[in-house]
Order: sequence, then structure tokens, then C-alpha cells
Amino acid sequence: MLAASATALPLFPLLPALSACAGPDPLAGPAPLSADVRSLLRAVAAEQNLISLYVRTMAVYSALAPALAPLLAEHRAHLARLRAQIVEPPGKAVPGEVTSRPAIPGSREGALARLRAAERAASAAQLRRLAGVSPSLAQLYASIAASEATHVTALSDRGLSDRSPR
Amino acid sequence: MSAMAASAAAGLQALQAALAAEHAAVYGYGVAGAMLSGAEQSMALNDWKAHQEARDTLEAMIVKLGATPVAAAAAYELPFAVRDARSARLLATALEEGVARAYLGLVAVTDQRLRAFGALAMLPPANRAAAWRGSTVAFPGMPSGQHATG
Repeated sequence: MLAASATALPLFPLLPALSACAGPDPLAGPAPLSADVRSLLRAVAAEQNLISLYVRTMAVYSALAPALAPLLAEHRAHLARLRAQIVEPPGKAVPGEVTSRPAIPGSREGALARLRAAERAASAAQLRRLAGVSPSLAQLYASIAASEATHVTALSDRGLSDRSPR
Repeated sequence: MSAMAASAAAGLQALQAALAAEHAAVYGYGVAGAMLSGAEQSMALNDWKAHQEARDTLEAMIVKLGATPVAAAAAYELPFAVRDARSARLLATALEEGVARAYLGLVAVTDQRLRAFGALAMLPPANRAAAWRGSTVAFPGMPSGQHATG
């Protein structure tokens, strides 16, 4: 069960109070997801895939683990913050499984390039989520996009060697 | 005030806040740069130029909206004394974090173009802050940005 933050969004909008007034039938099934929740579910799924890529890369290239661990920790913080925006109703769970497991490249340089490409794509995807969501959620996406952009730089060979992102 | 007018006012206010942060950064890099040398001074010079360009962009946007851009102050109170290279790096980090925070304020407006502009504009200061700090953070621009656990 996830802890709900004060600003968390219900996975399904609250059903309207039963009354004699005309309106949506509360027994007709769950109402459609809001734009915020739909985008959050996609963001959570993408973050889980990115975390999986880091974990598997670190398992194959253990020498990279010290440099990659801080970036992985930040992605776990992103995931926690994203998930905290969603309230899970009984019987409905926010998807938790990894949906993409690309092969880890056979060289260290290739693995780093794969991570850089994944971070770049993730940052761009966060920016595409800005339109139409609430201001606070847009700020969260923008901040995560900026974090992921700094990861791209940190994943350069120079960044990995001295931890200086540029 | 209509919703549209309120939205425009909020957008203008956020742009002015971003401009004020850029003014402060331009001033602050003048202080920090004097305490740095070699490659770090070159880095500070490049960042100083980047903030001047960002300042000019924001001023043009504000003028286009029919408003008067906020002016730079003659001097700024620094958050701490800058007496050596270490404190100069800390100042540069703080300046970039302040600019990123101001652009993140633009992301909260309802005007989608300004929101997108703010999100893109905060990428360079987030990267520069990481460079001066020597590490990345989970949530650039947010008050809790220093902490990976958010």
C-alpha cells in the first residue's frame, strides 16, 4: 500500500455523492482517469524501466557501480515522488512491473551510451508531459527532466572519471 | 480580473522573477570570477556570458508583452562572504540554483508556451549547478533539490 501525500491524486476520481440529482451513474463503472493520473502512470512506468536499466548495467559492470549509484538513487527518489502523487484505490494498484528490458551492451562504453540515450529520452518525455497537467505536477516533471539532463552529462566518460558533470 | 488577464499577469510576474534571478547571476559571477583562476575562471566567464544572453532574451520577451523589464540592482547582498576559490564555487552553485528555481516558477503558469520555455530554460542552470557542485541532485529548482530523497 502506498502512502498518500496531501496532494496525491486519486487513481479514479471520487464518485459523486448519491442523490436524486441527474448526473453520472455511480454504478456505471469507474470514471475515466484524469489527465494528471494518466500522465503519472506513464511517468511511473518509464521511471521503473530506467531504474531497471541502471540496476542491470551495474550488475554487469560492477566497476561502474560507485559512479552510477548516486544517479540510481536520484531515480529512485523520482519514482517515490511520482508514486506519492497517486492514491491507489482498493483493488487497483499502480503498475509496478518493468515493461522494457533492453539487452545490456557488451562493452562499458556501449553500456554508458545506452544509459545516456535512455536519460536523454526520459528527459524529453518529461518535457512532453507538461502540457495540460496541473502546475505542481508540471513543476515536478520539469525538475525531473532537468535532473535527467544533468545525468546525461554525468554519464560522459569525463563525468564518470572525476564526478564533474561537465 | 478575468481568468485570461490573471494568467497573463502571472506569466509576466514569473518572467520578471526569472529576469531578476539572471541579473543577480550576472552580478554574482563578477564576484565569483575574481576569486577563480585558470579553467575555473574560464568556466565562470562562459557562464557569466550565458546569463547575459538569458537576461537579454527575458528582457525582449517582457518588452514584447508591453511591460518594462525589472532593472538590475546596483549591488546585491551575497548569501555569504566570498574570499577564496571554494566560496566562489559555492556562490556559483547558489546562483545557478536560484536561476533554476526562478525558471521552475515559470513552469507553474497556465500559458503553455511560457511553461515549456521555463522547463527548457532551467536545463542549462541545472547542468551548471551540477558542474560547480560536483554532483547532481534529484530535484533541481525545488527547495528539496539538494536531497536525493526529495
